[in-house]
Amino acid sequence: MGKLEMIAHTKDGGGLTMRVLFLQPPLGWWAAWKKHIANNVAHAQLAANIREWYPEIEIKVLDTRALGMDEKQMVDAITELNPNLIYMGDALQTTGVAAIHPRYQQAAKVIKQVLPDVKICVGGFFYGANAPAMLEKTPEFDFVVAGETERTVPELAKELSKSDPDIPSVRGLAYRDENGEVKLTEYRPLIENLDDLPLPAYDLFPMDKYVGFNYIRHYVETYMTRGCPNGCRFCVGWTNYDPRGNHDWTHYRPRSPKLMADEMELLVKRFGAKFICMMDEDLNVYRERMEGLIEELKRRNLKVPFFFMGRAPYHLRDRDLLKPLREVGFVCGLFGMEAVDKETLEAIKKGTTVDEVAELVGLFRENNIMSVVTWMVGFPEDDEQRIKDRVERLDLMDPDMAALQILTPLPGIPLYKQLEPYTEEWNLLKWDFQHAVLRTKHLSRQDLGRLAAWANREFYSKPGRVQRILYDKRYHPFCRLIARVYVETAGKEHAQAAVEDKIFV
Amino acid sequence: MMNRDIHLTAQDLLRAMQFKPGDFGEIAIVSGQPQRVQMALEKLKNPLRNFSAMGYTLWTGEYKGKRVTVGHGGMYAPDAALITELLCAGGVECLIRLGSCGAMKKDIEIGDYVIAEGAIRGDGVTRYYVKDGFQPKADPELTQKLFSLCKKHAHKGLVWTTDALLRETKDFVNGAIAQGAIAVDMVTSPFFTIAQLYNKRACAVLVVSDNLITGEIGFADIRVFDAERRLIERGFDLVREV
Repeated sequence: MGKLEMIAHTKDGGGLTMRVLFLQPPLGWWAAWKKHIANNVAHAQLAANIREWYPEIEIKVLDTRALGMDEKQMVDAITELNPNLIYMGDALQTTGVAAIHPRYQQAAKVIKQVLPDVKICVGGFFYGANAPAMLEKTPEFDFVVAGETERTVPELAKELSKSDPDIPSVRGLAYRDENGEVKLTEYRPLIENLDDLPLPAYDLFPMDKYVGFNYIRHYVETYMTRGCPNGCRFCVGWTNYDPRGNHDWTHYRPRSPKLMADEMELLVKRFGAKFICMMDEDLNVYRERMEGLIEELKRRNLKVPFFFMGRAPYHLRDRDLLKPLREVGFVCGLFGMEAVDKETLEAIKKGTTVDEVAELVGLFRENNIMSVVTWMVGFPEDDEQRIKDRVERLDLMDPDMAALQILTPLPGIPLYKQLEPYTEEWNLLKWDFQHAVLRTKHLSRQDLGRLAAWANREFYSKPGRVQRILYDKRYHPFCRLIARVYVETAGKEHAQAAVEDKIFV
Repeated sequence: MMNRDIHLTAQDLLRAMQFKPGDFGEIAIVSGQPQRVQMALEKLKNPLRNFSAMGYTLWTGEYKGKRVTVGHGGMYAPDAALITELLCAGGVECLIRLGSCGAMKKDIEIGDYVIAEGAIRGDGVTRYYVKDGFQPKADPELTQKLFSLCKKHAHKGLVWTTDALLRETKDFVNGAIAQGAIAVDMVTSPFFTIAQLYNKRACAVLVVSDNLITGEIGFADIRVFDAERRLIERGFDLVREV
């Protein structure tokens, strides 16, 4: 009997059992978000897929972060669960961008010390675009998914359950052959219709344990779309996708409004969700879909506050929908500005003007929707003047919150080659958008970090703005709690990451 | 040589601003920080901007049936003296200051309140108003009410007013502590002095933004923002009781 065969055929009550464990190992959270323990929606989606497509496979879940377990407790729990395959991976950057990798690697290392035969697979965010390279660099992993995980992981589990698994037949997978050489299987095409997927299997997860932004209990993160038609050149969304595809990240696929509302209803009625954050990059591409969502939520009278990310031009196109959206629970929305000068906006292919962003900030405020504008520092041409001009423009625009991201050169994003020569920090624990890991043509890495901390502190200590976002009752209490975390961490945790290189994820 | 006793009185200045009696309410809530002024303004019904000069703006409106003036009360001793005197001369009978301070006792925390019972005059402006031995005092009744309203995290005592934020040296600070000060600010001394000279009732509650003994700095601390927010509520709670 071959090694794989032995793993796959664990005796359990007389039957042959394949056990897949979805593991969230010990890890932290973004400095600016304080304690933030979100559910891993990618795990829930994959678990649902396996349950529906291969019901004979047993599914286990261990979210050590939610359960407050340390490394040893994790290993003890896994030993007891006795899985054949462990999967770790995320679909959302909000877990910590590339900083998740060292955490996954460490978990894999300690697990393998105790359970050397268990197979470990990673995928999703960061790995999707870098599967063979990451497998090459990480001997603790057995498989890395290239591109979308939704079909690949269930197929891998199924294949491993066979007496003679044919791993090369699983498309979209980096694996090691019998000689230990890293191989990449055939490209896996994208899922065309998201409605073909079952709703995420939230019932397997400790949904009562999740906390958002330090204060919000019964907090849920989910995603309702895949891809973004714009494809900004800095966007980390690219890293979910196999570069052999045809710009797969820009192939936008939404879930239908009905299923979206089904999922929200499930979350509220079965799991007591109090706040739903849709963390996909671009929810509002199609007007008719947003209209459909409003109708569905109205009809169900759900009244759950929710957040989503969208693009300013789409919101402006659908400006008449902001009021009905607010009425059905849209209390906080994020859209991107990133930079203010035309040259940079063109270089990153932002596809949005600063005036559009400013207009939308005003419209959000008129409708009592808290606005979060993303902006960035660390472009190669950035100097102190440029960054301070950006801060000045942002200040004039006066969004309720500004989510500052320090540009990080993730392999897989279109800007990667351009940014690579400026990279000075290779410890991936700092590749979380909150640390400066590169220099610019004019600023050292340290100066960039200091400017980022300065800008964030400036924004979140401005008299008037602080009082508005903390206390103005036109905004939903959860929005004010999110704002509270940003105010609390500006000048503290955020600065400790940006200036002192302190690790948080 | 100037022959007049005084170049400009508060009444002269009010006249120059076309101020008319009744433009101010009987009660005034003042602060040096624009965000506190804004939050106080939001509490008023039908506020009218009746005074706006030299960068100082005051609104008068209604709160629970009482006419209340809110606005910028000065950030430092000289401008606090100016605005306090204008308010007193303009008919305000009761002055409530919502300020901030540095604590001079170890156990007073960032975000706590100091209710000033009186001031130790480390400022320069009051010597133009009163002699050296003068001791500025708060209205005891208002002060007690304020203390009761802020009781949780509130500390009562003397406040040393300085003109030199960046010269709170060991010698000066310990000297003030020896005289009984529990906190330092830059306004309370002229605020109480002038109110007393005009025979008006005045009280001051100050949010603690830093601590000179522990060295803790909390100017942008969330505890200060939260305390400021509650400060406005307590100020208006006092209005109900006046």
